[in-house]
Amino acid sequence: AVISSILFSGSAEEIVIPRKKTWYGIAVLQALASTVNRDPTASHYVFQDDSYLTPRTSAEFKLYSLAQESGRTAAKYFINTYPKYFQKDFANPHIPCLMPETLELQVNEVSEAALIERIQLRKVKAAVDMYDQLLQAGTPVSLDLTNDLLDLISLYGDCDPARGDAPDKSLKPNRENNNAERIFNMMPERNRRSYGALIRGMVKHGAYSKAFNTYTDLLNNRLTGDVHIFNALISAAPEVREKYVEKWDLIVDLLKQMAEQKVKPTLLTFNAVLKALRRCGSLGRTQAFPVINEMKALGIAPSLATYDHVLGIFYKAATSAQGHTEILQDVLSEISGKSFTAQDPDDVEFFKDAMRICLATKDIEQAYRVHSLLGVGENWKLLGDSYYQSIYYGRFFNLLCMMEHIDVVLKWYKELIPSLYYPNSQGMRDLLQALDTDNRLDLIPQIWKDIKRMGHDNKTELVEEMLSLMARENQIPEVQQSFADCALDVKALYTQTDRRVPLSWSAGSLSSITSILLAAERTQQAWEMLKLFKLANRVPSESLMNQFLESVKASNNAQQAVELVQISASFCLSITPNLMERVQQEFDLTEEQRNTLSDLESSTAMSD
Amino acid sequence: MYRRAILSVYQRRSALKPPRDPRLGPPAWTHLACVPVFRAAVQLSRRAFGSAGVQLCEKKEGAPAPVAEEVKNGGETTEELQTEPKKREGAASKTEKELKDKIENRSFQETAAVQTDNTVKAKAQSPDFRTESESDSDSDSDSDSDSDSEAVSRAGAKTEENKITESAEERKSTPASPEKAKDNEVGKKGLLELLGAMKVEVTTKRKLKAPKIQRSGQEAPPRPGEMESTTSMFQQATSEAASQSETLSPELVEAASAAASTLPDSTQAKSELLRQLRKHEAVSQEQRKGETHDIGNIIADMKVGRRLNGRPNARPANQIRFDEDGRGYTHDRGITSELDGVRRRKNPFLTKRLSIFPVGAEQEPDTDLAAGPTLWDADLASQIVQVVNQRPRNGFEEMIQWTREGKLWQYPINNEAGMEEETSVPFHEHVFLERHLENGFPQQGPIRHFMELVVTGLGKNPHLSVKQKLEHIAWFRDYFQQKQDVLNEAETY
Repeated sequence: AVISSILFSGSAEEIVIPRKKTWYGIAVLQALASTVNRDPTASHYVFQDDSYLTPRTSAEFKLYSLAQESGRTAAKYFINTYPKYFQKDFANPHIPCLMPETLELQVNEVSEAALIERIQLRKVKAAVDMYDQLLQAGTPVSLDLTNDLLDLISLYGDCDPARGDAPDKSLKPNRENNNAERIFNMMPERNRRSYGALIRGMVKHGAYSKAFNTYTDLLNNRLTGDVHIFNALISAAPEVREKYVEKWDLIVDLLKQMAEQKVKPTLLTFNAVLKALRRCGSLGRTQAFPVINEMKALGIAPSLATYDHVLGIFYKAATSAQGHTEILQDVLSEISGKSFTAQDPDDVEFFKDAMRICLATKDIEQAYRVHSLLGVGENWKLLGDSYYQSIYYGRFFNLLCMMEHIDVVLKWYKELIPSLYYPNSQGMRDLLQALDTDNRLDLIPQIWKDIKRMGHDNKTELVEEMLSLMARENQIPEVQQSFADCALDVKALYTQTDRRVPLSWSAGSLSSITSILLAAERTQQAWEMLKLFKLANRVPSESLMNQFLESVKASNNAQQAVELVQISASFCLSITPNLMERVQQEFDLTEEQRNTLSDLESSTAMSD
Repeated sequence: MYRRAILSVYQRRSALKPPRDPRLGPPAWTHLACVPVFRAAVQLSRRAFGSAGVQLCEKKEGAPAPVAEEVKNGGETTEELQTEPKKREGAASKTEKELKDKIENRSFQETAAVQTDNTVKAKAQSPDFRTESESDSDSDSDSDSDSDSEAVSRAGAKTEENKITESAEERKSTPASPEKAKDNEVGKKGLLELLGAMKVEVTTKRKLKAPKIQRSGQEAPPRPGEMESTTSMFQQATSEAASQSETLSPELVEAASAAASTLPDSTQAKSELLRQLRKHEAVSQEQRKGETHDIGNIIADMKVGRRLNGRPNARPANQIRFDEDGRGYTHDRGITSELDGVRRRKNPFLTKRLSIFPVGAEQEPDTDLAAGPTLWDADLASQIVQVVNQRPRNGFEEMIQWTREGKLWQYPINNEAGMEEETSVPFHEHVFLERHLENGFPQQGPIRHFMELVVTGLGKNPHLSVKQKLEHIAWFRDYFQQKQDVLNEAETY
């Protein structure tokens, strides 16, 4: 009571004046954007302009989004290539990003200004030529400018980078006889930045031991490294050592040197350490958390890449099911509810890796936690591009199908598909199995529509699995009718001729469809199916023939019964005499039919 | 095994302390309080180790030995029990060295049980180990060791007394059983306490040199680290207890028959003895079953708390092989293992760090970063942008994206939207414009009056920038100066 009264009086006296809130220009838009929920029935926003471009399969999604991107890139390419046609400035105030970029060299005489321009425009070869000309002319080039040049060459590895607006961006690592080292060696004085550019370039282009030699050189010249140099060296450390312990020792040594040289580590430093630890086997498991705790002690907030590396250390692909199941829990309790921003190119690996672990350990609880983390703040951006998204959702959906009750699975199915995720045929088979597990096979016709829409109707395995599920047992009449419709739909697909890769009948698919039709009492269509066996050179199973006989018997059609025996005899089925006997006993046969049967009997006897 | 035993003995001592503390407030009483407790405990532990050995022997032999042999062996054991206290008394000393020797002596007598030997040796080493590992709590451990040796000697004396009376009673074939049974009972109890307490500080011992608080007699804060091994211990115990047969161990029977052979009516004495022993066995079984609650309590107490340091869970599960835990732990084990799963794990994010970098130390500010973004930074940024999902999810997000790219005007968030060049101009420059009338205008008169009105109007005009307002004033200045002649004529200037 005393304490509470003190607290109370204390809080009564203290008035907290709210701090002035700084609003950014996009604050209102952000607030508005947060009011918009995702519509699971709509396609992605980027496709909403044009209903023709509503993708139905993942291939279409990829195609249409790439088409959009390349359309923009092509426009930009033309604007930049022919700037003189795009000089009219409509916007007031001026919008710089809509104007053509200057990509051509303006300064042509040999001067520092020309070199600066070439560096800015990232013309590596032209810049190197200009530098050489300047040196030949005896013009000294300032240290900063030379460093800029070194940065340029190291980053792009001696060949011109592809234009930002060109479709293809590939770096060709070509470290033979390179200009960076030549210029570096020609430099009258070198500072930390010069060394840094060289080392980072070497690491980027795979010359790892050279990078370490350069670092030794740097130390010999009584210079110290900067954080970028160390980051590069740490990421190169696993490449230059064989044993796990040696790798780790080298990293620890580098970190100690950082501390000695009073270099403040960054997030990327620790992410590089953890990434290297992923390649240190069991050593990683003991060292991962000390590294993270070091980060925290230094006040560096881990990014998703940090946690991804931790997961990578503890859950190797082969042994994921054993031990350390709690690490994912720990990581998730650590980060649940936090919003992350992209700080490391590896950040996007987290969600798919976490979901992989959930799938491997069949841990649906953690999967839900991972998924709820995805919904926090702007974390959805860190799910990565559409490829990563499809991996993530594929794993999530697979796990749901495996672990959850079918009602929950279907809820997620409606939520995710097709607005976020286009499952592959394996995903649909998982769903079918989930339907089978919970005895909701009556939903198959509905799923079949989705299968067709998603373009999986040409996947033989999927279609046959679906057919066999439908044919497996008898359902209530309404369901059986819908199954029959669905089966006829499938049949139409098989007989379609305008497909590039037509489905080919197998004995399984034929008998499944036939028995579905028989169960639905569509005898006529079933008979047509039976004829297809002959066309497709397939043999019906004996149980199917029995099923046929039952249905014929139900309608008491003696003519059909005889035909059935004939067909059976034509397939040389071993069940034929049995059928014949039953037909003779159970049906009222005319004389002619009896004769036909006895003919058949003698012919089969002869063939025997 | 050795180390575990060592630790266990030590642990017992420290674990037994807490109960005495509430009773006897001042720590000065420690010695005295310990003594009786230890007397029981030491006796019991000996009994425990002895029977461990016996049990192992039994296992080795497989089938129970013939009765005659059993009887003989039994006699030996009894003799041992009798001689040992005497030896103890003779060698009673308070130094640890002597204590150790003595116990080793004793252990050699008990060579029948191989394991016992090991255990006792291990036990004997305990003082050394303790002093070694605990140099920072010297006074405490000293007192402990003192009390220990004292306890041992006293225990020896006591045992001898007991034995003498017992043997006398045996000779008379009078029912000595109650007393003996009681003794045994106490023994079991003590053993169970010992076992329960044993694990409690193992971790403390090895790892936690810093938190010594509980050594000073306070109730030791329980540590989750022990739980794992505790469970495994009980698992071990249950499995072994299950293997223990209802019948007496052959060793014991042998001992009994040997003792009986010294008496005149040997067969009667033997059967009497054996019956007695069976009763003990039964009683102690009962006792053990009853005891489970206590152990349960101990375990429950142990669970609370967190492990403070990050030790990997690498302890082998079967380091300890204790025999006589009796049955009935299965349900306890269920609980413990369940709790184990919940609490054993520490949060790995709260463990130790690498400690390479100094925290909070002023590190050299990165001069290169101040120079502005380099090509490398741009490269990193573009890498990140490429991997991140940038697709807008709705129209507003697209507008945000366009705003960032500069294709869209900023959505107005206050009244100053789009007034970029005026942002640095304070409001009074806009409102208080009289000071601009100081130069070039008359101090009074109609023109001054007019200009004051102009300035007031300008001060209220939100549409002009300060520069435009000044231009406006300057225009009037020029105008009136040009018209100065006319104005002078009209005498208004």
